[in-house]
Amino acid sequence: MDDVAVIVPVHNEAPVIHGVLEEITRVFPRVICVDDGSTDGSVEAMESLGVVVVCHPFNLGQGAALQTGVEYACGDPSVQYFVTFDADGQHSVEDARNMIVVLRTEPVDVVLGSRFLGDVSEVPRFRKLALRFAVHFTNWTSGVTLTDAHNGLRAFNRAFAAGLDLQQSDMAHASEIIEYIGKHAFAYREMPVTISYTDYSRSKEQSLLNAVNVAFDVLVKKVTR
Amino acid sequence: MTLDQVTIKVVIIAGLLAALVLFFVNPNTHGSRATQKIGVVLVVAFGIIVAWSPNISNEIAHRLGVGRGADLLLYVLTLAFVFSLLAHYIRSREEARRIAVLARRVAILEARMKVPPE
Repeated sequence: MDDVAVIVPVHNEAPVIHGVLEEITRVFPRVICVDDGSTDGSVEAMESLGVVVVCHPFNLGQGAALQTGVEYACGDPSVQYFVTFDADGQHSVEDARNMIVVLRTEPVDVVLGSRFLGDVSEVPRFRKLALRFAVHFTNWTSGVTLTDAHNGLRAFNRAFAAGLDLQQSDMAHASEIIEYIGKHAFAYREMPVTISYTDYSRSKEQSLLNAVNVAFDVLVKKVTR
Repeated sequence: MTLDQVTIKVVIIAGLLAALVLFFVNPNTHGSRATQKIGVVLVVAFGIIVAWSPNISNEIAHRLGVGRGADLLLYVLTLAFVFSLLAHYIRSREEARRIAVLARRVAILEARMKVPPE
């Protein structure tokens, strides 16, 4: 797994970040944390583990943090595969490992996690509804057919990473990635993943009202292109 | 509704639609910057004329089907406000994008200095 870079965007995750990174580094030695202007000691917690920490001088949003991580990782020619992994501990490292196996063995450029392909009983009902709506919206704007549009766990190869240019700083980046897949006709695949809805990850979730912002940004971008 | 009222309605609606178009086209072209300059010159010229002879605004208003010159000014001002709001929104979005690129460059350089490439 030496040729895999795991990119973790971090914004004020001090209570959990140490544990999450420990889990990741057990499987993936190369972790790139992008601190997006944390003010709660997350940076110290990350640095104590010896992972690479790239610090935004101020908060730029999760999309911007992912782009920073991808660009940093691209600077190292030995990195062939990239994983994006949320810092709040909702993803499973085992799922990420399975995605890399698929990337290595099958002719796909990008593997996306979907919480709706597996057991969905864990997903809170209202959130399920909102995510279903999001996926229909994104499928309609991108022409890519997915079951889960806003899953933070993804894996992709170098060709995919090299052309990635996320402009939407905030949560609209998830739709932007999917549009990027559709526009360049990358070979994609969805894999079932488990999301642990802990009290902590729930407290960090974006408000559903933010979906209005996301939809607006995506539409404006689509019209202006 | 008289024909005159239709005129002012068309003017206002066309202005608002033009604002929408401005919102969606790339604001950094020579054409749109030239349009802005012409717009400024027109506004100043109109201001001078109206200041010199306030009756002219009344007359223009009547021709457009608006009761008073003051009302017409209010409508025009509203349009101008919407235009400038959108122009600022577009500019600030573009600036935010540039700042993000700059901040990213700084962050990456700083991180590479800390961890020398193997």
